[in-house]
Amino acid sequence: MIEEVDGILLAAHELKVPLAVIRQLAFALDESSTHNQQIRTKIVSVSERAIRQVNDLAKIRRLEDGLFTMEPVAVREVCDAVSYELRQLFQYNSRDLHIKYKNKSKLVIANRDLLCSIVYNFLINAMHYSGDGAKTEMIVNEVWDKTRITVRDYGPALPMDIWREIKKGWMDKPTSIAMRPGSSGLGLYIASSFSRYMNAKIGAVRHKDGTSFYVELITSKQASLF
Amino acid sequence: MIFVIDDDELMAECIANATQKDTMSFLNAIDAMSKISEGVIPNLIFLDILLDGPDGFTFLNELVSYDDTAKIPVVIVTSLKLHNRSLSAYGVIGVLDKDTMRPEDVRRYARQYAE
Repeated sequence: MIEEVDGILLAAHELKVPLAVIRQLAFALDESSTHNQQIRTKIVSVSERAIRQVNDLAKIRRLEDGLFTMEPVAVREVCDAVSYELRQLFQYNSRDLHIKYKNKSKLVIANRDLLCSIVYNFLINAMHYSGDGAKTEMIVNEVWDKTRITVRDYGPALPMDIWREIKKGWMDKPTSIAMRPGSSGLGLYIASSFSRYMNAKIGAVRHKDGTSFYVELITSKQASLF
Repeated sequence: MIFVIDDDELMAECIANATQKDTMSFLNAIDAMSKISEGVIPNLIFLDILLDGPDGFTFLNELVSYDDTAKIPVVIVTSLKLHNRSLSAYGVIGVLDKDTMRPEDVRRYARQYAE
């Protein structure tokens, strides 16, 4: 089992090298035409997304080493940073991203990198399963003594079996979502693993016209400067 | 003159092109050190860490061992997360993350140190 996981770590490193090169080569594309600019932006966005997923896989392997420090993290700053990173990808896929902060900015007990990855994976999932021009909403609110980040998409409803598994608060393995073709469930598995490490909880709410995925984090008692 | 040391030829080429300056690319630290021994002292070095043969840290140790090379500015270019490490004692003036760096980041160092 250990050898298999180390194999994943090795594969992740091997994959990262060509992905980083593809990204750099895209920057070398001639930008004289709008078409070329668009192609370049797409290659950069897609390769950055792949690099992030490979990094996340490597992080899952390292979770058991306990190297990810838990500290007060500003939720709003994380959501803003990730949505800024994904703005072009949403734009080129004709998706509309809305963010609603329903409380004053809170600090949560988390690891910033891991939390960024959870939000990133939720948003990518929402983008993938929403139609052209569809809205994706990210909402931050308080639920009792927790802070919840919800990403609502308008794609196919989540199947009952997956919903039950998520209801446990984590997923033991990537599970493909049959009604969401093309999904390996990897993003959800990554989000699940990271949230478990941070003593946070992921969950999903089924809607007739889509799904909301959320992560609930422990709110820090420390006063926020943001 | 700028040295680019990276065991990935295409990545080395991308960095060299981004500098818009005279560069020499090396696939390993030994060849770069040999060139320096011949008297070719670069104004700036872009250095990968995970190299075939001696790694980037070994190369840095070698550089600081000699008076004439100890002050060569070095920019680390790597996928390793080194941001919290203090490497200034090795002449490291910056760290570029291969996952997120852009050509203008490379160019900024080239303009500043290799005019």
